[in-house]
Amino acid sequence: MSKLNKKLISSVVFVVLFFFILSWIPYARPAALSVLKIPLYIFNGAKRELAGIIFYHRNYVLNGRLTSENNLLRNKFNTLNEIYLENARLKKLLSFKQQSSFKVIPARVIGRSMDSFASVVIIDKGNFNGIRRGMSVITHLGLLGRVIESSKDSSKVMILSDPSLGVSGVVQRTRQEGLVCGTLGMYLIMKYLPQDADIRIQDRVITSGFNQAYPKGILIGTVVEIGNEFSSLGRYAVIRPAANLSHTEEVLVVVP
Amino acid sequence: MKNKLKFLSYILVLGLLQATALDIFKVFNIKPDLLLIIAVIAALRYELKWAIIFSFAAGFFKDIFSAQNFGMNSGLFVMWGYLVYKANKEVSIDYDLIRLALMALVTALNFIFTQAILVYLGNYIPLGVFLRGIILQVIYTSLAFPILYKLIKDE
Repeated sequence: MSKLNKKLISSVVFVVLFFFILSWIPYARPAALSVLKIPLYIFNGAKRELAGIIFYHRNYVLNGRLTSENNLLRNKFNTLNEIYLENARLKKLLSFKQQSSFKVIPARVIGRSMDSFASVVIIDKGNFNGIRRGMSVITHLGLLGRVIESSKDSSKVMILSDPSLGVSGVVQRTRQEGLVCGTLGMYLIMKYLPQDADIRIQDRVITSGFNQAYPKGILIGTVVEIGNEFSSLGRYAVIRPAANLSHTEEVLVVVP
Repeated sequence: MKNKLKFLSYILVLGLLQATALDIFKVFNIKPDLLLIIAVIAALRYELKWAIIFSFAAGFFKDIFSAQNFGMNSGLFVMWGYLVYKANKEVSIDYDLIRLALMALVTALNFIFTQAILVYLGNYIPLGVFLRGIILQVIYTSLAFPILYKLIKDE
């Protein structure tokens, strides 16, 4: 066999073997993530301390603002609590079926996807804590994403900014339905709105609960822009997500 | 062998930094791709076999944190490692500016390839986001390259 043929065969074998390895990488991921969990914890802790030093002044100003906002919200909460109790009493009187509130598992973000447009975060809870693939993930501000992979002690969450994640949403004011998708940027886009859709800037968009993927009524974001689709067949709305998609530290995994 | 193990540990540390601390320095959601930088450095410093192994290790590390159904970054990084190695053999890449230009080119091509794969998989990426992303990614990664190159070279 000539030298050229030998080289050709070995190149082909290398390419075939290489593509075989590439296809197996996703199966090796959960084990690799479990191994990296402790180093990720350490690096994440160091990052938090570093961020605290770098952004000291910003945090100081933010603290003052949040304290006053907190006092205002406490006041509002007391009023709303009264309304809530009254609502519960009235519902009982009318024999309405009580809506079951969901159980949540708190988790901490220990890593992010290495791509610039972070669309995946790694959390420190997994199968062992009851987290399963497909569960919704929220923050205290609103919907964050969905669990796409779960190993024994860590999970991968795809966040709303990823274009491959679609959420069925409704405009809270008018119950207009649409599909909310990520754009890899800072905003989300609500598609498939009819031309005559009753939607305005500053409208709040919540999960519709039409499918089992996301519980009903979780805040997705606020409408900041409305436009006509290129085909002129419908309209779209640009949504500012309620949750901070790029800097979230603590999340809640919703157990259905 | 000691040097190679040391280089592997650089990949590990830089990968962990990229997944955690680099978030602080994000500009418009863009952070420098330290693993791509180390793959290029490996291709410039080592012989073909090790250049491929290190590029694969860097790509694999990136794939661990990604959501793709296959090892997209492992494949791309090996390709860049091989091409940079070949380019280094054909033309002498001794000047800092040429190395910088090469890094910028690899970053731009890597960005275009990854986004093209995402579009092929059915994801919608607005043109504005794409253009802003590629410009910032090239500038940011190229700026980080000389620092890392010098740090690793001095070791």
